[in-house]
Amino acid sequence: MTSQRIGKPIEILLVEDNPGDVRLTLEVFKESKMHNNLSSVGDGVEALAFLRREGKYIQSPRPDLILLDLNLPKKDGREVLAEIKEDPDLRRIPVVVLTTSQAEQDVLRSYNLHANCYISKPIDLEQFITVVRSIEDFWLAIVKLPSR
Amino acid sequence: MQELAEMRQRLAELEASGARPAPSGALLDQADDAVRESVARYRSMFDGVPVGLYQTSSEGQILDANPALVKMLFYPDRETFLKAGAADVYVDPQSRERWQALMEREGVVPDFEMQMRRFDDSVIWVKDSARVVFDANGSVLYYEGALEDITERKGAEEALKQTMAELARSNAELEQFAYVASHDLQEPLRMVASYMQLLQRRYQGKLDADADEFIAYAVDGAKRMQALINDLLAYSRVSSRGKPFEPIDCEVVLDEALANLQMAIEESDAVIIRDPLPTVMADGTQLMQLFQNLIGNGIKFQNGRAPHVHVSTERQAGEWVFSVCDNGIGIDPRYHERVFAVFRRLHTREEYPGTGIGLAICKRIVERHGGRIWVESQSGEGSTFHFAIP
Repeated sequence: MTSQRIGKPIEILLVEDNPGDVRLTLEVFKESKMHNNLSSVGDGVEALAFLRREGKYIQSPRPDLILLDLNLPKKDGREVLAEIKEDPDLRRIPVVVLTTSQAEQDVLRSYNLHANCYISKPIDLEQFITVVRSIEDFWLAIVKLPSR
Repeated sequence: MQELAEMRQRLAELEASGARPAPSGALLDQADDAVRESVARYRSMFDGVPVGLYQTSSEGQILDANPALVKMLFYPDRETFLKAGAADVYVDPQSRERWQALMEREGVVPDFEMQMRRFDDSVIWVKDSARVVFDANGSVLYYEGALEDITERKGAEEALKQTMAELARSNAELEQFAYVASHDLQEPLRMVASYMQLLQRRYQGKLDADADEFIAYAVDGAKRMQALINDLLAYSRVSSRGKPFEPIDCEVVLDEALANLQMAIEESDAVIIRDPLPTVMADGTQLMQLFQNLIGNGIKFQNGRAPHVHVSTERQAGEWVFSVCDNGIGIDPRYHERVFAVFRRLHTREEYPGTGIGLAICKRIVERHGGRIWVESQSGEGSTFHFAIP
């Protein structure tokens, strides 16, 4: 299923403000068999600039998948999600909400804003690795995505 | 009082008119003596009791007061006190109105608590027990009552009330603190634990044996701390995330608890015996957790035998007493209180895993339901946990 992309890395955008989490996610994706390129931004304003290729992001790739934390500085994840899903060009990109929040209202709100799925970040590393592998398997291998 | 006074008055009139009926003169003298003696005895009691006694007219005018009352209210003498009006002694005019209304409606005012102003303007709390006195025709003669100085008791009550309010506030603060602290601790701890695990994953066997051991201890410590924080959060959520009580079918709740324990039941070949259970007013999720923890303990604390757990209930004095009885290792009576404390364990983690939060959560759930939990057990002879809820 990924045959169409052989040679071309899968582009992932991670929107996450905690450097420890960014590095951890990066390390886990590094262990992936799938050829991927993970970019990361630290707040909601940067995320939208990246996606719209504004300012210093003029050369940035269009991601195949967005991993979005909800609690972010400046513009938080809920606002970013709303803007992505209102944008006719960006709304096709699947957004995986990946957050430590387990609050019922965050889950509901994210789906109401058309998040493609909501995942509570596990506390344990092994479980986190399993979750990342599942995201890869499902969103990047099983699912048929629109071409860029 | 009034009647006696009237009788005396009549007697005096009769004597003055000289119209004493001759045949019964001696008899009347005797009666007169009896009346005098009765009056004297009454007066002596009235003057001597340590309780404040009074008579007032229905309009509130003080007709009589005993020395104890005069003294209680700091008046120099009875005469001065009798001249005092209701406005002088009642601190709150409304309490006088409520007293009057009660008296007119009921004819008695039992244990009426109010503040009174003393002669020196200081204020005391009193308890008034009064009643109306009628004449032979049923019209109000006067009110009579007894006053007790309860200032000290009121002060103690007030202090207790304040202490209780402070305790409730500090409890709420502590709960909030425990929740926030454990919640906010999770984030940095996740980093420590994750990176320790990442170190282990990447470098196990590549440094040296010491490094492997150090990392293993660090990973273990971080994981244990995560378990403690999770349990502390669960404990503080018993009150912060509790749901309102509604009628709960305990049969359904027990089904859920057993479904959650299915793995443990199968692995240990446990036999669960269940008596019919009632419907009670409760938080269903918490009741399920309560059953799950108690039955789970019955399965877990075993010495190699197949666990037998019996869930039963009995109606006792208006409450339901539930019992969860197991054939496990039992608990020495000197630990019966301690097993319900937070993170209190009786065994090493190697013997029986866990943080020691389970029974503390059980106790908290039962107490939130206005009930009690206790254990009957001897070491080596199984345990029966009972909880009673209304």
